[in-house]
Amino acid sequence: MRKELRELRPVYVVGIGLHKYQAASETPYVQLGLTAIREALRDASIAFSAVESAYTGTALLGMAPSRVMLRHLGGSGLPIAQIENASASGSTAFRQACLEVASGLCDVSLAVGIDKPGRIQLAHERAGVPDLVSGYVAPFTHFALLAHEYMHRYGVTAEQVAAVAVKNFRNASRNPYAQRTKAYSLDEVLAGPRIAGALTRLQCCPVGEGAAAVIVASEAAIREYGIDRSRAIRVLASVSRSERVYEPGCDPDTELTRETLAMACEQADIEPQQLDVVEFHDAFSIEELLYVEALGLCGPGEAAALLAQGSFDIGGRWAVNPSGGLLGMGHPIGPTGVGQICEIARQLRGEAGNRQQPNAQLGLAHMVGIGSVCVAHVLSRQQ
Amino acid sequence: MTSNTSELFLAGATPPSLRGQRCGACGALAFPPNPYGCEKCGATADLLTDQALTGRGRLRAVATTFVPPRKDMPAPFTVASIELADGPVVRALLTTPTDESLRIGDEVQAVLVSFSTENGAQTELRFAPVEAS
Ligand SMILES: [Zn+2]
Repeated sequence: MRKELRELRPVYVVGIGLHKYQAASETPYVQLGLTAIREALRDASIAFSAVESAYTGTALLGMAPSRVMLRHLGGSGLPIAQIENASASGSTAFRQACLEVASGLCDVSLAVGIDKPGRIQLAHERAGVPDLVSGYVAPFTHFALLAHEYMHRYGVTAEQVAAVAVKNFRNASRNPYAQRTKAYSLDEVLAGPRIAGALTRLQCCPVGEGAAAVIVASEAAIREYGIDRSRAIRVLASVSRSERVYEPGCDPDTELTRETLAMACEQADIEPQQLDVVEFHDAFSIEELLYVEALGLCGPGEAAALLAQGSFDIGGRWAVNPSGGLLGMGHPIGPTGVGQICEIARQLRGEAGNRQQPNAQLGLAHMVGIGSVCVAHVLSRQQ
Repeated sequence: MTSNTSELFLAGATPPSLRGQRCGACGALAFPPNPYGCEKCGATADLLTDQALTGRGRLRAVATTFVPPRKDMPAPFTVASIELADGPVVRALLTTPTDESLRIGDEVQAVLVSFSTENGAQTELRFAPVEAS
């Protein structure tokens, strides 16, 4: 009989840690990763020897990066593997760690995301299926096309789309781990330079380097290691999907997001409106509007008006991308999905300081990746 | 530059037709064509047959790109999402480098553009606005 995550052993986020996201530097990835993992171990108040498996989400580091880093925590012989799933690599590493604890194969698992900027090799370019725009449509052009279609259909202006970035930079300016730390104004966002269509540079996420780590544990481990139960955050749902064939002209990222998030909410047994904090894949400003609607927080074409009213601000009806999102906090690829879990756990613990969404109980993390893939998790303060 | 090769269009018609693929098992109509199998139902490639798609359609969206993905690409260039008269929606380069004069719903048609590269002469299929008459 098929089961969902919530029907297996309960899984809890018990430790979170980050290395600040930043522009490419000379810092070795090992240093980035160890900083995040040690912070997560301190946060959970456990030793590395308690960690029974580790998954590293990374897309750009190359073959076999995990032990090169983890051995400096004391080589314990634990099982390790790298997870590559494009932008959703970190989210997928977190999912694997959750599944391993939920299934009972282990009691404590580590998901870490790390990357440094490097040459991106996309397999689809070697698939032997040419199309009319091979090489010409980078992600920013893809999302500029979606932006144009959305703006035309709903009468949304370039200023309303750019307002997503203004909100997310405001949130990022309160996040010590963010790559972009300045609260840019709407005029600054719109001033350019233009990248593609309506998208200016500040409406495209920075791809830098960094690391994020999350430790998940079972009830048994919480008892055994005396982990503070009041700070443990339950993982209610984990859903991973890939693109199907949609109706002609439908944007696959939005349709895939729609079905993945619907499944995540169903598995968590919640309505989307009950969420308090949501971290979306806002690599480009337009995406947040598309995905807010795909999640069902509002109807089609309504997101821009709600954004203008402050509904998605910290302190609003839903805090959307309180970390600053990919636009503000940054998108170092491997770390990004794990970093979202760190932010949601911090919010649900009530430890997010000056970017705290009041009384946050439920959070959702969402990443899409080239391919396309989509991974979503629902987290709950209630255990 | 990655080729936008003759596998993708059927020259001879005016405007040139796109080489679509019809699945004999589920009826799905796809573009671009592939040598592997049906993306809708998984039928093997021997069940896929060429079906010409008219090189006429209307703009669903356009985006001028100012920063080329690769340094050897000329910029700006404009990519459009085009709803073909036969139904499929495709993405293609437009012959106009910028989109200032273009509107969603404008009629466009396929044209073959030839140019020389370091690998010799190359022909690409692009779309051009249909002049209002
Ligand atoms: Zn088929």
